Amino acid sequence: MKPLNLLALLLFLWGVIWVLTLSERSVRKIQQVYYAMISPFLKGGSELEVAARKFLEEVEHSEDLENRLKSIEMEFGKLRSIEGRLRELERENSELRNALEFEKRSSIEVIAARVIKRQPSTWWETAIINRGERAGIGPQIAVLAPGGLAGKIDTVDKDVASMILLTDERCQVSVQVAGTPEVGIVHGVRGHYGRKPELRLRHLSREAAIRPGMKVVTTGKGGIFPENILVGTVKSYIPGPVEGEAYVEPSVNFRDLGVVFVIAKEAEK
Amino acid sequence: MIWYHVSLLAMVIVACVVQQFSPAFVSLYEARILVVPLVFLCSAVTINVGPMLMLAFACGFLWDAQHILGPHGGNADVYVNANEDVRFGYSIILYALMGFFMQGIQPLFREGKWHVSALLSGVAIFLYLFVEYMFITFIRGDFVVTRALLLKISFTSLLTMFLSPLVFWALFRLARLFHHTIRYEGLKTGRRAFVDY
Repeated sequence: MKPLNLLALLLFLWGVIWVLTLSERSVRKIQQVYYAMISPFLKGGSELEVAARKFLEEVEHSEDLENRLKSIEMEFGKLRSIEGRLRELERENSELRNALEFEKRSSIEVIAARVIKRQPSTWWETAIINRGERAGIGPQIAVLAPGGLAGKIDTVDKDVASMILLTDERCQVSVQVAGTPEVGIVHGVRGHYGRKPELRLRHLSREAAIRPGMKVVTTGKGGIFPENILVGTVKSYIPGPVEGEAYVEPSVNFRDLGVVFVIAKEAEK
Repeated sequence: MIWYHVSLLAMVIVACVVQQFSPAFVSLYEARILVVPLVFLCSAVTINVGPMLMLAFACGFLWDAQHILGPHGGNADVYVNANEDVRFGYSIILYALMGFFMQGIQPLFREGKWHVSALLSGVAIFLYLFVEYMFITFIRGDFVVTRALLLKISFTSLLTMFLSPLVFWALFRLARLFHHTIRYEGLKTGRRAFVDY
């Protein structure tokens, strides 16, 4: 081997060892710098993507839009009457709660954010949102979406943040099967591509009374996710020799993840 | 000559930006075009071992800066083994291995058979993704190889490979612009050959 090549190889090996032994803090710092540099392009790309999508949708569905508008107007009328009834029920519910002396009731403050990029990586189910440190978002905070739990924040920069979706194997959530004492850890399924995403619920009792259709909610244990947030619905249960496991259909539509809500503060009222 | 190497580094940074605009094709098992690995693999056949290793380091470093997930966090009693994942920097090793793989066909490349390199870039991408997946599997446990996984890797390799002529064209332009002679020196001494682009 030539001396120069040998020197390059030694330098390379030294570099690899240095990088592999970096502390978690240094890695996060590097990632923050990277995201700070790349974020203008992310936003630009997202705006371009949104504009192109809107234009295509407009062209494709211009005729449908008129019909849809008519049906929406009718639906709106119906909903207004239902809303009136719901408000009455809400007031009644509030009165009943007070009567039952619910001393504590948790409320969640959220920060709305738009998903500007989906899956920028091959193996990790991640998304990038358009809010970051400036909006008060930090790492390891739960993210909600219409339907229930969507994931948690991973890396945060000033104006963007990266979130791990619930469908990723690394996003583990402590959950309970509603109506049963069964608790376990739910996470994404590896090697599950091109199909509707599903979740794997592990560490259940080996002969748990779990049926398809049962709701799965967060327990609030573990310090990341608040309790009683809907995660999904049980699709199947597989009893095992030591412990059982179930497959869960997520309650959030991950294919159409547009707006998410990052939990800002969990306050006790 | 050094300017050619600097331009390759600039090309890698541009590839990192372009990568942000590369969508996942849901109908093709969420396959995507991997611009950064492709730029590296194509560049690897045009330079010597030393610069190739430096480029592998830069590519792997930037790749991991974008992709590596942070610690799971939360209570370790509840989330047991949640933090077991690949370490920041593992991609550098993978890039270097793929770089050596590509350099193995450098003699063909210098004979002007760049299309062999283009085809091999697809093979290298397939190997890269498969090895990366196996690595993740080894760390996390649970050996899972599904048809969907193999199709995802295959489609990603194919889609990426189709873009390689464009990258080679850009490399030839850069080589001409900076008067760089693509030469084969390999790891052994005594054998040299030159080709001008």
